[in-house]
Order: sequence, then structure tokens, then C-alpha cells
Amino acid sequence: MTLTGGVDIGSTTAKCVLVEDGRVVGKSLAPVGVDIVRDADHAFDEALLDAHRGREEVAFIVGTGYGRFKIRFGQLVVTEISCHARGASHLFPGTRLVLDIGGQDTKVIRVSERGEVEDFAMNDKCAAGTGRFLDVCANALGFDVAEIGPVSLTARRPVKVTSTCTVFAESEVTSHLSRGKEPPDILAGLHASIASRSLSLMQRVGVVPEVTFTGGVSRNEGMVRALAQRVGLPVNVSPLSQFIGALGAALLGQERAAGAGA
Amino acid sequence: MSETVPRNTAPSPPRAAGEGSRGFLEEGRKLQRDLVEEYYRNLATAKERGQPVAYMLVGGNLTEIVRSFGYEVVFPEIIGLNCAIKHASLDNIVHAESMGYGLDVCGYVKNDIGLQDLGGSTPFGKVPRPDLLVCSFSGCYIYVKWWEALAESYGAPMTTFDVPYMRSDRPWREDVDYMVSQLWEFVHYLEKATDHSFDMDALRKVLAESRRAEEGWVKWLDAGRLRPSPIEAYFEAIFYMFPINVLRGTARAGDFYDVVNAEVERRVRDGTNPVPEEKFRVLVEGVPPYTHYRTFWDYFRRWGAVSVVATYPKVGGLFDRGFLHDPSRPFESIAEYSLGAYVNQSWEQRRRIIADYVDQYSADAVVIHGIKSCRSFTAGQGDLRDWLIHERNVPTLYVESDHEDPRYFSPAQMRNRLDAFFEALEQRRAAGSLAPGAGR
Repeated sequence: MTLTGGVDIGSTTAKCVLVEDGRVVGKSLAPVGVDIVRDADHAFDEALLDAHRGREEVAFIVGTGYGRFKIRFGQLVVTEISCHARGASHLFPGTRLVLDIGGQDTKVIRVSERGEVEDFAMNDKCAAGTGRFLDVCANALGFDVAEIGPVSLTARRPVKVTSTCTVFAESEVTSHLSRGKEPPDILAGLHASIASRSLSLMQRVGVVPEVTFTGGVSRNEGMVRALAQRVGLPVNVSPLSQFIGALGAALLGQERAAGAGA
Repeated sequence: MSETVPRNTAPSPPRAAGEGSRGFLEEGRKLQRDLVEEYYRNLATAKERGQPVAYMLVGGNLTEIVRSFGYEVVFPEIIGLNCAIKHASLDNIVHAESMGYGLDVCGYVKNDIGLQDLGGSTPFGKVPRPDLLVCSFSGCYIYVKWWEALAESYGAPMTTFDVPYMRSDRPWREDVDYMVSQLWEFVHYLEKATDHSFDMDALRKVLAESRRAEEGWVKWLDAGRLRPSPIEAYFEAIFYMFPINVLRGTARAGDFYDVVNAEVERRVRDGTNPVPEEKFRVLVEGVPPYTHYRTFWDYFRRWGAVSVVATYPKVGGLFDRGFLHDPSRPFESIAEYSLGAYVNQSWEQRRRIIADYVDQYSADAVVIHGIKSCRSFTAGQGDLRDWLIHERNVPTLYVESDHEDPRYFSPAQMRNRLDAFFEALEQRRAAGSLAPGAGR
């Protein structure tokens, strides 16, 4: 009975998952502020509370995400690329391609049957096609980002969004509004635009089933549908999809703890 | 897999050869620094000495011919890289942009135009105005435009060479003849410009010095075949390529490679290698991010990764592929050397060269660094990556920033990609699935 933790500090949120014998026993999610050290601590404490466990019971902690080097209490840091591959393969063992769309980052990962990273590609230094892109456009349309997925599914005549830049896309949204386009149609266009960019990135490493969609944007059902349509394949999504990086980290911690005889 | 970090403090990379931390391997690096300083001192006083100055491009350059006429040679690309490594390029680039050069224009061009317009002072010294602009390579179209801008700015004459593209292992006879005819035309032009007669013996002497330096440089690079590698064929070679590119044709260059080859022998004897524990042998393709050069190097050293071979140090000449200057065949060997420049090779040729290097140097993986500045060198690197992965089963990573413009380097993203790549290599090695053709 080994309890391990995975802490994923992303650009937007901090996630922590506690795993015992391959099962998730606690988790937490909170926004990231300016004090990453404190945010990591807080995420860990919240997950412990969720699991009704104490810090001293955790045998091994793995940090991941862009803020991984700021996690003061871990034993190991691993990139989120390895962690997403591991987490996605655990939840969906048939996974061969992972698409992760986070706050400022989109990554695609080809994984082997054993869950190893075979190849990966990431977006360039640009937030187009990421969660931030949707945040900005949702604000321009007067929606909360959590609302836009369901609203986009009510579209009747989706518009075409051509801008590849987040800032210019916002201007394009405003332009569509001024021409009388309906918000659901604009949102559907935005989702289709992200799906198209994601497919392009996926093609760099090769599109193979099964495809597993992870990261905060995978909670958006409009995005899931747009992606499945564009890729032409069913897309795995888990209720834990936002936690998959932290889950993968905790699972890697299980392997390390086992290797260390913990 | 991955790096173990006690209490989550990121590990510092081990000190490497050439850093001087242990007092070993300093001689070559120190001599290289001295040569750079001496070169800039000479440049600053060239006009006082009455020595004419020729600007030239590195790839397939015609140093030997202009030196035989007494010219001092300036390579604005190398000036640009020196500015970048000293964090002085951005001011020049921004100045060029204020002059109207667009965001997407090559960083070399903008650094040079900005530098010249700001008075020509670099962290190393002042660069003299050109008396002659020799556009020695035509494969990159922007080179011609860059030289035209300088020619107009200085009112200096400009000569352009038409270098046929290489699509075979050895140059075609017709292409060599075509180049030789242009070289003679150039010689006649220089005779008029300098009012000196061409001296074949003087050229042969310069070529003999070049040949000596080239053989020394090839010997140094060949040491990357050893396991563990006693040299860093990318990050260290960036320093050690200065004499072969800038001082070729002088005794200084040949002497330098004698020193560094003796240094390699000491490293092998003493077991003092660039990476104390060599874990990954990497081939690196592409121009380095000079603006973040040490940061980029650290991302390799953390993983025990050493570049055992690299294509970038070959841009001054593919000497190891037989394109050596030959005093007994002066014009033909200069023509062949120019045609065989790495930047003048077709993609089919570049793929073949890289595949050969992977085998010859027992490389585990390839890292390609593309630069936003140069589409002509970088376009095709995505296909190269796919070819290496799918056709040669060589793990390959493509990353991108710039060699001159620091605004394109994102440390967190760059490190993330390299960490993930080496994590994956570690996984594959543990699982026994690293390509059998790759080094063990």
C-alpha cells in the first residue's frame, strides 16, 4: 500500500493527485497565482485533505508542469510530456496519441503500447489554439469560459475564424459580432479553428487511434465534438482529464517508490 | 527515466571541458580568445596600415584569393555571432528595425546593418568599412540583397559569384569549370582594383597554410568518434571553428589546431572529457542560439548528453568529406571547396551526410535547432526530422529559436522540449528499444 503524489503546476492551474496502488485517492485543483511555491504547497495540502491523509504518509512525490522546479517538497521532477503520456495510458490503455490543451500550451504525444513517449510536438511561442485563446474570445463575447462549450453546440451556421493570433482573433470576433453573426456560430467557428490547428500539430507526429484528449480545454464539450469531427476519430476524454499530468506524475512516483523498496 | 532532484533543487550541470573550472583544457580556449582579440585589433588598424578590407560570407568563401592580394577579411556573419554571444545583437537589430527592416528579416542582416549604422563598434572592437564586398555564395538570396545594401551604403564595389547547387557527392566537371572561370574573372578584377599582378606562388603559399589548418581541424573533429568523446563537437566547436573560418590561409590557424589536437590527446590520456559521464551521444544540426548559448548547452549537459558530431561547424567547409584546398590544384580545389559548402548541398545530400555521421560517430539521437532568421537553411529540417525518425529509426528532436535575435528564445519552452526528449531516450534505453543503429 504505497501512497504517492503528483503535483502539476501549469500556467493557469495547480493540480495534485494522490495515488495508492494505482487508484486515485485524493485530488485538488486551484488557480496559480504569483507565489508558485505556496500554490504547490496548497495544492498538495488540499489533495491530502481530500484523501484524509497526512503528509508523512506520502512515500514519493513527483513534480511536473512549467512550475515543477518551484515545488519544494518533491523528490523528482519530470516533464508534463512524460506525465501526460503515462496518465493517459493508465486511464485508456489503448492510447497511442495524446492531445493536451492547457492554458498556454498545446502538445501532442505519440505513445507506445507501454506508455513510453515515442515522439511529441508542441505549439510555438504563441497562445493561438490554447485555453488562453478561448478565454480571450469568450470574454470578447461576454461569456464565462465554462459556458462556451455548450453554447457552441447550439450553432446553426458556424462562421470561419481565420486568425492564428489570439489578439487578432479577438478583433475578428468583434468584427463578426458587428456584422450580426450569432455568438453560438462564432463560438463554433472558434472551436473549429482550434480543432484544425490541433490536427495540424497531431499530423506532425502521426494521427493514430486511440486519441486521448487531456488538459483543461478537454472539459469543453464543444471542443471535444469539434475535435472528433476534424480528426475523424473518436476521442477519449476522462472526468479526470484535467488531472492527467498530475496523475501521470503520481504513477511515476509509484514506480520510483517500488524501485526504491518504499 | 528523468532526472532525480534531491528536494527539488534543479541540478547544476557538471563543469565541462573548456570551462577552465578544473584548470584543465584551458590552453585551446585561451588561445582562441587571444586570436579573436588579435583579429579585432588587426581589423581596427587595417586602414592605418593601408591594408584594403574585403567583406565576405563564410560558406564557400574565397579567403585564399583575397589574402593573396593582401586584403584583410571581414566576415559580417561572424561579427554578428560575436555580437550575439556578447548579448550585443539586440540593440543592433532593433536599430535596423527602426530603419525599416521588418521583423522577419534575417538577424544577420539586421545586426550588421544596425551595427554599421551605429558606427561599427562591437564588444570586441571596431569593424572597418569595406573596400570590396565579395558575395561568395548565391544559394541564400538574402546574401545578395544584404551585400547590395552594404554596397549602396558604403559606395563600395561588389562582386557576386554564381555557385551551382550541389546534387551529388562530388561536383560535376562542368560546375568546377564554371567556377574556375569566375575565379579567373575575379582575379583579373582584383588586379585592377589593387593595381597588383596576380601571384600564383603567393596563392599557393596561402593554400598550403589553409590545407594545414584544414587537416588539423578534421583531426580534432574526428575525435568525436571516440567513446567517451573527448570533444564537444557543437558547443565547444563553436569556439574552435573561429580560426578555420576567419584565419584560414594564415599560419595562426594551423598552429591553433596543433595546440588543440595536443589538448585532445591529453584529454584521452587523462580521461577528462566534456561530460564527466557520457550518457547520450548526440548529433546536432543547425545554427546555435548564440544569444542563449550557455543556457542551451546546460540543457544538454544536465542529461550527460554530448554532441559527438555536428553539421554547423562544417559550414565553413566540408573538409572531412574531402573538400580540401590543394596548392597543386589551386583554382580547381577552391572551386570544389566552394561548390561543396554545406549550405550549398541539396537536401538529399544533407540527409546522406547526416545519416553517415550518425553511423560513423555512433550517435544515439539527433537534435535539430532551426532558426527563424534563415528559411533557406531551416526549410526542410522538418522533413529531415521525419526522415530520421521513420526511415532511419533515429530519435530526433526539432527545436527552434534564433541565432541572433534573443526575443525568439524561450528558456522554459526550450528546456521543456529537451528534458522531455532526453526523458524519452532514457525510457527507450531502459526498455531496450533505442535504435540498434544508434550508438551504444
